[in-house]
Amino acid sequence: MIRFKNVSKIYRPHTVALKNINLHIKAGEFVSIVGQSGTGKSTLAKLLFAEERPTKGELVIGGWDVSRIRRGQIPLLRRQIGVVFQDFKLLQKKTVAENVSFALEVVGASPRRIRELVPHLLRIVNLEGKAGRYPRQLSGGEQQRVAIARALIHRPKIIVADEPTGNLDAINTHDIINLLKKINEFGTTVVLVTHNREIVNSLRKRVITLDKGEIVSDQEEGRYRL
Amino acid sequence: MISLLRVLRFAFQNFWRNVWLSVITVSMLTLTLLTVNLLLSLHVLTDAAIKAVENKVDVSLYFNEGTQVELVQGAAGYIRGLDQVRDVQIVTPEEALERFRARHAEDRLILSSLEEVGENPFGYTLIVQARDAADFGFILEALDHPQYRDAIREKDFSNYGIIIDRLNEATGKVRVVGLAVAAVLLLIAMLIIVNVVRMTIFIHRDEIGVMKLVGAGNTFVRAPYFLEAILYSATATGIAAAAVFGTSRVLAPRLQAYFGIVQADLFAYFATHPLPVFGLEFAALSALTILSTAFAMHKYLKV
Ligand SMILES: Nc1ncnc2c1ncn2[C@@H]1O[C@H](COP(=O)(O)OP(=O)(O)O)[C@@H](O)[C@H]1O
Ligand SMILES: [Mg+2]
Repeated sequence: MIRFKNVSKIYRPHTVALKNINLHIKAGEFVSIVGQSGTGKSTLAKLLFAEERPTKGELVIGGWDVSRIRRGQIPLLRRQIGVVFQDFKLLQKKTVAENVSFALEVVGASPRRIRELVPHLLRIVNLEGKAGRYPRQLSGGEQQRVAIARALIHRPKIIVADEPTGNLDAINTHDIINLLKKINEFGTTVVLVTHNREIVNSLRKRVITLDKGEIVSDQEEGRYRL
Repeated sequence: MISLLRVLRFAFQNFWRNVWLSVITVSMLTLTLLTVNLLLSLHVLTDAAIKAVENKVDVSLYFNEGTQVELVQGAAGYIRGLDQVRDVQIVTPEEALERFRARHAEDRLILSSLEEVGENPFGYTLIVQARDAADFGFILEALDHPQYRDAIREKDFSNYGIIIDRLNEATGKVRVVGLAVAAVLLLIAMLIIVNVVRMTIFIHRDEIGVMKLVGAGNTFVRAPYFLEAILYSATATGIAAAAVFGTSRVLAPRLQAYFGIVQADLFAYFATHPLPVFGLEFAALSALTILSTAFAMHKYLKV
C-alpha cells in the first residue's frame, strides 16, 4: 500500500529532515510513528499526502508514484488519503455539517450525495446532534471528530493523523484513538504520528521510531521507547 | 455544472465579502475605461471637426466683369468634371451684389461708395469645393486652362490646409497624453488587482488550505478568482458604458450646435457601435485582469 524506497527529504538549504527511509506499510495496518520533536515525523506525513516531495528516493502509495506525481494528479491522490491534524483545520465560519460537506462540494459531488453522506459521517463520529454548531461551540475532542468525519468523506484508503490528540485532554484523547481504531477495523490503513507514550503502549500495534530523520526501530506490537 | 455553480457562488462571495476592495478595483478599472472612451470621443470629434473645416474649404474664382455666361458655365462644367471636386456653385453678379449688400448692411460707408459706382461692379463667381483639402493644388493648376485663364480676374483661396494640419497636430498630442494617462491608470488598476487577489488569497488561506487538503482540483481552487476578475471587468465596463451614453446624450445638442451641419453625434456613434467599442473594451479589460490574477496566484497561491 505504502512503500518508501531510500527516501530522503532535505529542506533547503541543508536541513536533513528524513534520511534514507525504507518502509513498507501494508493495506489495513495501524502504524504509529513516534519520535522526539524535530525528527521528521510531520515531514514523513506530508510526503504521504504530497504536501512535500521526496528529495531523493521513491515513494509509492497504492500504485501512485508520489515522488514523481504530476501537479494535476495531487487532488486525485488526496481524495484517497484522509488527513487529520493537531489543530483540526476547521473553518470557523462554517457549521459542523458545512465543514464536512465543504469537502464534498469542492470536488463536485452532487447535492443528493452530500445530503446522504454528511449525516452518515456525523453519525459515525457520534456528532449527529451537533450538526448546526460552529467549531468554537465544540470541545477540542468534538472538533477533532468533525475533522475526522471530513477526512473520511471520500472513503479514503488511508488516514494520516499528525498528532491528532496533541491538543486534547486524556478523555478526549482516548475517544479519538478509539475512533481511529474503529476506522481501522473497517479496513482503512491508519498512520498515526504521536509522542503520547500511553497511547502507543495501549494500542499494541506496529510502532516505527524515528530519530534525527532515520528509522531506529520498527516493531510489530511495539512499545514506546526513547 | 454543479461545480460551475459552486465556483460562481464562491466568486460572488469573494466579491461581496470584500466589497470595499471590489469597489476600489472596479473604480480604477472604470476610470481607465473612461479615459479610453474620452480618447475615442476625441477621435470622433476631431474627425467631425476636420470634416467641418474641409466642408468650408473652397476656392472662389472671380471672373472679369462682363464675361459671358456661356464661358462661366463651360468653366463650371469643366471643373465639375474633375474627380477632386465635390461641388461647384455659380454666383451671378446680381447674387454677388446681394450678398455683398447683406454682408455690409451695417456699414454705411461701403454701401454709399457702392451707390457712387452706380452699376454692379461684380462679375460671375465660381465657388469650388474640393473633396480633400490636399486637392486644391491640383484644382488650381487645372484652372490654368488657356480657355479660361484670361477670363479669371482673381483666385481667392482660403488656406484651410494649415488649420487642418494644426488640428491634427494638436489632437495628436492630446492623444499621446491621453494614451499615456490610460496606460498609467491601467497599470495602477493591474497592481491593485494583483494586491486584491493577494489579499483575497490571504483572507481565504484557511479555506484554500482545506480545499487542497480534501482534494479540490486546482481549477476549482483558482476558477473563482478568474471569475471575479471577469466580474470586475464586466461591472467596470457597465458603469463606463452608462457614463459614456449618459454624457454623450446630454452633450449631443451642444456638440451639434457647435459643429453645424456636420454629423458630430457622439451618442449616435456609441449607440451604433456598442459591440466594437464596449465589447472590445470588456474583452481587453478581462484579458488584462485575468493576466493580473494569474500573476498574483502564481506568486501567492501555492497549489
Ligand atoms: N518547511 C520547512 N522548511 C525548512 N525546514 C523544515 C520545514 N519543515 C520542517 N523543517 C525542519 O525539518 C525537521 C523535521 O521537522 P518535522 O518533520 O516537522 O519534525 P517533527 O514533526 O518530528 O517534529 C526540523 O528540523 C524542522 O525544523
Ligand atoms: Mg510534527
